[in-house]
Amino acid sequence: MNYPVWEVAFGAGLLIAAVAILHVFVSHFAVGGGLFLVVTERRARRNNDLALLGWLKAHTKFFVLVTVVFGAISGVGIWFTIGLIGPTATSNLIHAYVWGWAIEWVFFFVEITAALLYLYGWDKLEARIHEWFGWIYFIAAFASMMIINGIITFMLTSGSWVKTHQFWQGFFNPTYFPSLAFRFAIALALAGIYALITASVQKDAALKVRLVRWSAWWIVPALALLPALGWWYIRWIPADVWASARGPMPTATHYALFAVILLAVTFALALLTLVRPGRMRLAFSLLVALVALGAMGSFEFVREAIRKPYVIAKYLYANSLYAAKIPGDGGFSGDEVNATGILRAAKWISNRDLSKGNQAAVGREIFRVECESCHTIGAYRGVKRYLALRQWDENKMQTMLGVLDFMHHGVMPPFAGTDAERGALAVYLSTVQPVVAAAAAAASDGQTVFDQNCSMCHWVKAGEPLFKDLPRDPNAATKALGDLTSLFPLMPDLKLPEPQRIALVQWINEQRSAKGFGKAAQGGNGK
Amino acid sequence: MTPPNMIPTLDPNPLPAPYWVFKLLLIATFFLHIVAMNFVLGGGVLALVSKWRSRNRESANRMFLDVARKLPVLLPATITLGIAPLLFVQVLYGQFFYTSSIVMAWPWFLVLVFLTIAYYGFYYVSYRGGRPSARDGGVMLFSVILVFLIGFLFSNNLTLSQTPSRWAGKYFASLDGWNLNLTEATLIPRFLHFFVAAVAVGGLLLVFLALANWKRDHEYARQVLQFGGKAFMYATMAQFVVGIIFLVSLPRDLRMLFMGDSLLATILLLIGVTGGIGAIFLMSDALRKESVRVAGFYVPGILAVVIASMSLMRDILRDAYLKPYFHPGQFAVETQWSVFPLFLVLFLGGVILWFVMLKRYGLLGSK
Repeated sequence: MNYPVWEVAFGAGLLIAAVAILHVFVSHFAVGGGLFLVVTERRARRNNDLALLGWLKAHTKFFVLVTVVFGAISGVGIWFTIGLIGPTATSNLIHAYVWGWAIEWVFFFVEITAALLYLYGWDKLEARIHEWFGWIYFIAAFASMMIINGIITFMLTSGSWVKTHQFWQGFFNPTYFPSLAFRFAIALALAGIYALITASVQKDAALKVRLVRWSAWWIVPALALLPALGWWYIRWIPADVWASARGPMPTATHYALFAVILLAVTFALALLTLVRPGRMRLAFSLLVALVALGAMGSFEFVREAIRKPYVIAKYLYANSLYAAKIPGDGGFSGDEVNATGILRAAKWISNRDLSKGNQAAVGREIFRVECESCHTIGAYRGVKRYLALRQWDENKMQTMLGVLDFMHHGVMPPFAGTDAERGALAVYLSTVQPVVAAAAAAASDGQTVFDQNCSMCHWVKAGEPLFKDLPRDPNAATKALGDLTSLFPLMPDLKLPEPQRIALVQWINEQRSAKGFGKAAQGGNGK
Repeated sequence: MTPPNMIPTLDPNPLPAPYWVFKLLLIATFFLHIVAMNFVLGGGVLALVSKWRSRNRESANRMFLDVARKLPVLLPATITLGIAPLLFVQVLYGQFFYTSSIVMAWPWFLVLVFLTIAYYGFYYVSYRGGRPSARDGGVMLFSVILVFLIGFLFSNNLTLSQTPSRWAGKYFASLDGWNLNLTEATLIPRFLHFFVAAVAVGGLLLVFLALANWKRDHEYARQVLQFGGKAFMYATMAQFVVGIIFLVSLPRDLRMLFMGDSLLATILLLIGVTGGIGAIFLMSDALRKESVRVAGFYVPGILAVVIASMSLMRDILRDAYLKPYFHPGQFAVETQWSVFPLFLVLFLGGVILWFVMLKRYGLLGSK
């Protein structure tokens, strides 16, 4: 609202993800690969292994072309992209952490210089000095990772920073060390995975065998360590945040599964290279890299997803509104926007008045300023798809928009704005996905009623209040569901027609008996 | 919808050091960035001119390759030195810079695409191994055009960031960010001002190349010196025309800052003008006497002062543009004493280490 919103047709979030995932896949290689270069050089020189040295020289060129060129540009690319898509978050991070980034820049400068001198120094420098450049490179690269890790983890687990705004309290936040260890293990594995690529085109078969085995020494132990490090990492993520990846939030859950599967596949493929190391082809090494990219991308997706509804935990929502009113927020917290209204608070909208005639147009603008940081209409996280499943009419839509922050384990920020503005958004969304009258009215089986009206907040599992607390007696339950707000004050006042309620109660009782849900049920307790 | 209301408000975090610290860092790192950028763009242009002006003459092709081999180092230097001013401009001018970037989001994003392609193009040419080929020239031309376009996009964004009154019209005309700032009267003169300067500084890159080869291959070095020195002179002469057009294209009250209204701005302009004239005469003399020393040390020395004063003028101009919307006093300041000194120490250490690296590599004087 404070900044204009860039409409990216296929999804702003997807653009950030694309730039960021490609970047991390290269930047982690830049760290691990740096250590790989110096350690391998030492080994080759100690054994007077000229063949290995020759390959390493070529590999250095590959390393520089990938990391210094693409790694550096895509790193700047993240700056460009987050500034375009999340200017409020970027501005906050810049002002809170500019000295961190300035320090990282110093390391980066040293890193780039050392990388280029290491590359050009292969034929020029004596061994000892050449290795010295390699070590300078690796130490600077690792140091820059230490810095950026502090800022990324801060965004997920902001720790006591939200209260104190102290640099180091946010920097050394709860997930700092687990994340650093996790990422370093990834970096080491990637060093080996990228080495497989240049090893695969090696003509000298004996050397190729040694190279593949040497690469495996980097990949296999590091990947084997990842589950333990991942467990350590997850332990320091607040349980309610991590819970998003355990079912309630589809994106986080799916990607967590992908990450585990693809990690296992990477591990298996890496072991497979050892079966016939001399025969490993370029295509196979690229396949290993591609699967690893998938695994790493999935991990980053999970991290980004579980952070929702925040972009900076407990401080700033993904849609650039502050989680609570704080001095200097410019009136851009949810509570303030509720009072002033979007049409007055937002700087970058063209409609300033709301009337019966322009509700859809106003709603479209509200969608842009409040929802488009994560959603599109029909593409990435497209709302059309969700709405087709729900079949909400305008009134129900407006009611449901009032409880966004309860849906899907609280991954969305609450709607901010006046009731009339919420109504305008509901009108607009109804035009996006008109209700199929038959589907809505004929929703007479309990499962459909549940899917359309309850499933965004309630889960089909034991202990869920819906199964635990709702009266077992069909008549009492049907009656209770007629007045949801007195069941629980924060429930939306849906006013389901009686036939639907009866069907729903019947379905709930079937679930109870079929799956053993609601064993703890002691009848309704008003909750 | 008056423009000042459209200016995004600052975020709640105070500046973590006094305003002037960031200003100093912004201008100083911008200076370094622009010099490196000039070497890339100007050097690339002159390498192409040299290749095509004298087809297949051996020394011309050699000059082309000598410059081409420097570009894969000079481009990362430009990027690395560009990150710092990108960081500091966000610290002080984020409200303007983010907004204008969003208004022209896709073209701005394209900078990254162009940069990646140009970079790999430079590497391609430098790794070709030196056999003269038309394809090298073609790839180089393509990369140089991309770098040229990147500069043009930067000029678009930075002029747009200074003229908030344009934002709303453009933004609402294209919410998906397909905008440029082509209606801005100063855009082309400003961009040409930077481009011509890049060619001049590219000439100095050749002078340095001559300096490096002076003892090893005197005949070749002489040719390089003449070519680079002349390029520098002609481009700097052209700059007097382009510079005046740029000055004239500025809104009157801003132009007058440099013509008496502001003492500092006027002095800086005078330094720039006299420095430019002085550098031309000095270079002309150096070429006649074939004094690589004058061309390679004194002229760049004068030019460094000129570029520094131009960098300051650029900053004065930006603040003058933004005067209705921006005041340094708007920032709350809370210096982060727990980390700011650490930056200074590491920065100093980094600079020392950088020189030690260059020395150990043998790039600084005798080893």
